[in-house]
Amino acid sequence: MLIKIDNETISYKDKIVLNNVSLSIKEGEKVALLGKSGSGKSTLLKRLYELHPTDISYIPQELGLVNMLNVFHNIYISQLDKYSTFYNIRNLIYPDSKQIDIINPILDELYMSDLLFKKCGELSGGQKQRTAIGRAILQNNKILLADEPISALDEFVITKVMNSISNRFDTIICALHNVDVALEYFDRVIGIKDGQIVLDKQCNKITARDTSELYHVCDDQL
Amino acid sequence: MFAMTNSKNLNVTLIFLAIFCIAFYFADFSITTLDPLSEMKSFFGGILQIDISTVPSFFDAILNTISIALVAICISSILGFIFSLYFKYAIVRASLAFLRAIHELFWALLFLQIFGLTTMTALLALIIPYSATLGKVYAEIFEEYDTYPKELEPKNKFSAFIFTKLPDAMPHIISYTLYRFECALKSTAILGFVGLSTLGYYLHGAFMQGYYGQVWLILIIFYLIIATIRFWVSKKSAPFLIIASIFYLDDLSGFNLDNLVRFITYDIIPSPIKKEQTLTQTYIWFENLFVNEIVPGIINTVVLTQVALIFTFVLTLVSFPLISKKFTSLPTRFFGNIFLIIFRSTPEYILAFLFLQIFGPSMFPAVIALSLHNGAIIGHIMGHQSNELKLRPDSTKRKIELYGFEVLPRLYGSFLAFLFYRWEVIMRESAILGILGIHTLGFFVDSAIADIRLDKMLILLICTALLNILVDYISRKVRSYLRLNTTIKNECCSLT
Repeated sequence: MLIKIDNETISYKDKIVLNNVSLSIKEGEKVALLGKSGSGKSTLLKRLYELHPTDISYIPQELGLVNMLNVFHNIYISQLDKYSTFYNIRNLIYPDSKQIDIINPILDELYMSDLLFKKCGELSGGQKQRTAIGRAILQNNKILLADEPISALDEFVITKVMNSISNRFDTIICALHNVDVALEYFDRVIGIKDGQIVLDKQCNKITARDTSELYHVCDDQL
Repeated sequence: MFAMTNSKNLNVTLIFLAIFCIAFYFADFSITTLDPLSEMKSFFGGILQIDISTVPSFFDAILNTISIALVAICISSILGFIFSLYFKYAIVRASLAFLRAIHELFWALLFLQIFGLTTMTALLALIIPYSATLGKVYAEIFEEYDTYPKELEPKNKFSAFIFTKLPDAMPHIISYTLYRFECALKSTAILGFVGLSTLGYYLHGAFMQGYYGQVWLILIIFYLIIATIRFWVSKKSAPFLIIASIFYLDDLSGFNLDNLVRFITYDIIPSPIKKEQTLTQTYIWFENLFVNEIVPGIINTVVLTQVALIFTFVLTLVSFPLISKKFTSLPTRFFGNIFLIIFRSTPEYILAFLFLQIFGPSMFPAVIALSLHNGAIIGHIMGHQSNELKLRPDSTKRKIELYGFEVLPRLYGSFLAFLFYRWEVIMRESAILGILGIHTLGFFVDSAIADIRLDKMLILLICTALLNILVDYISRKVRSYLRLNTTIKNECCSLT
């Protein structure tokens, strides 16, 4: 068992965000967390991240990019603790071609190879999300925890990105609100509503009724 | 009209109006020159006597002013950057508050005793208060850009800082430093009034001799330098300008270790201690200083500050419609803007000096100078804010009603915030205007120096600093009572 929580309840200022949630995720699983905004997905992801912070590449919903730095720097950021301060400064001022050679293939996979030296503040929403994914990839951990990382991507790019992270990460836990994407690219879906898990199934065992339940869970209008 | 604003704003306004009434009662508003009108006439008549052919004689002073300001701001920004990294420590915050609270002219007077009329004195007088101010503001800017997710923050603190915080904060840091460079140019010019060879020196000389044509010429040169900053300072030109300035100022021979040692170990030791007098004699010495100089100095400084604050209040409320699209037509706004620009960019010290020549030494010219300068600064910001207000299409077309019911109630909160930001600045300037003969703290500092009583000078300077820190503290309390701190972030640049 890779990640496991038992009967967790988390609340902020009297408001219960996660209510008595138990969950276990095995190594190699690709799990989609489905739910509308405010359902408790982000809180659950953050909690899971805290369990094993050193084994996990984490992409928060706000992405955490530095707008004044370019894509190269924003991806290199995940390596700061690996290299000396001097080498970091050098790369901030004048990127080492070795590092560029490491980062370029990642950008190819994410279909944004021409954007290496573009400032993050000038990127579109989808390009920003892919930059954050690139940073997580370079971190080279076994597990990816990501909070709505592909919400701004179009279908073609989603395929590219999902292929890339499926290859790069052993285990993926990813918050989404798109049921179709979840069913197509993940092994297991978990539906969350009002801080509780309402559905937890392998994708190949999902019934038509489950699907409509999931649509219901994710619909922000309801 | 005040009933429209919330009761906390009203409370604060009434308290400060009451303090003003008491202060105004004690303020000395006499006009002592025999014929202020003819003084004014000859001053404005000077515009017609401008002789452009004398410009080359000011080249040295111009280059000196610019070089000192450039080198000072360069060193200050480096020191300020270092201070900002340690701003979380109370001792650093307190020391910076103290260094900041003493006006650059006071620092200049102090260093004059050690290094004489040298470039060194000018540089130190600027670098000390400026690096303290920059340290504080940089720290606040960094705090504002502390947005990187804590979960992702690298453990290598320095690398994390230069990658995750510095890049996003940099544009703000640069624009604030540039603004401070403009302030440094003004301060450097003013240092000329105590004898350092910058533009102020010639301005002072021309004034004293009644060469008003030259006065105007120097003022115009000064405005041109400041107005054109963005054309000659850029990312590319800055390094060259700084290096050129260092070479231009290469005479740093003023540094004299013996003088420094004597100053610290002898000059500033209170005289009863130096003379090893008894405890009673020491007490009497301090009591004399306290009763005859510190208390009257503080009272006069506070009186001048509070009167000038309320005059600024009134002047701002009157002047901002002059540049507001909601109230005035284009020609009026054009002249309104010129009026505000002139008083905004003329340092209050120069304005006060000018008015003192015309009206003689009393609080009257000082109040006029302080409130014109500060009223123009706040009026400018308020005017812009009123232009951005979106009113209902059916709001009243009558100007007075529009002012009282729609515009002022909306702006009143931020107006008070601006005013209280300037309060500390007004206080610092009030103290310094004592050098011109009004009996505020600066007057006693200046007399102590004239009598070569540097021990007194130091104690008076410490009192000045503490008074400023107190006002800064009250101002912060008032702003947080009014919940104004959050609304002001962008404008505070031009207010500190």
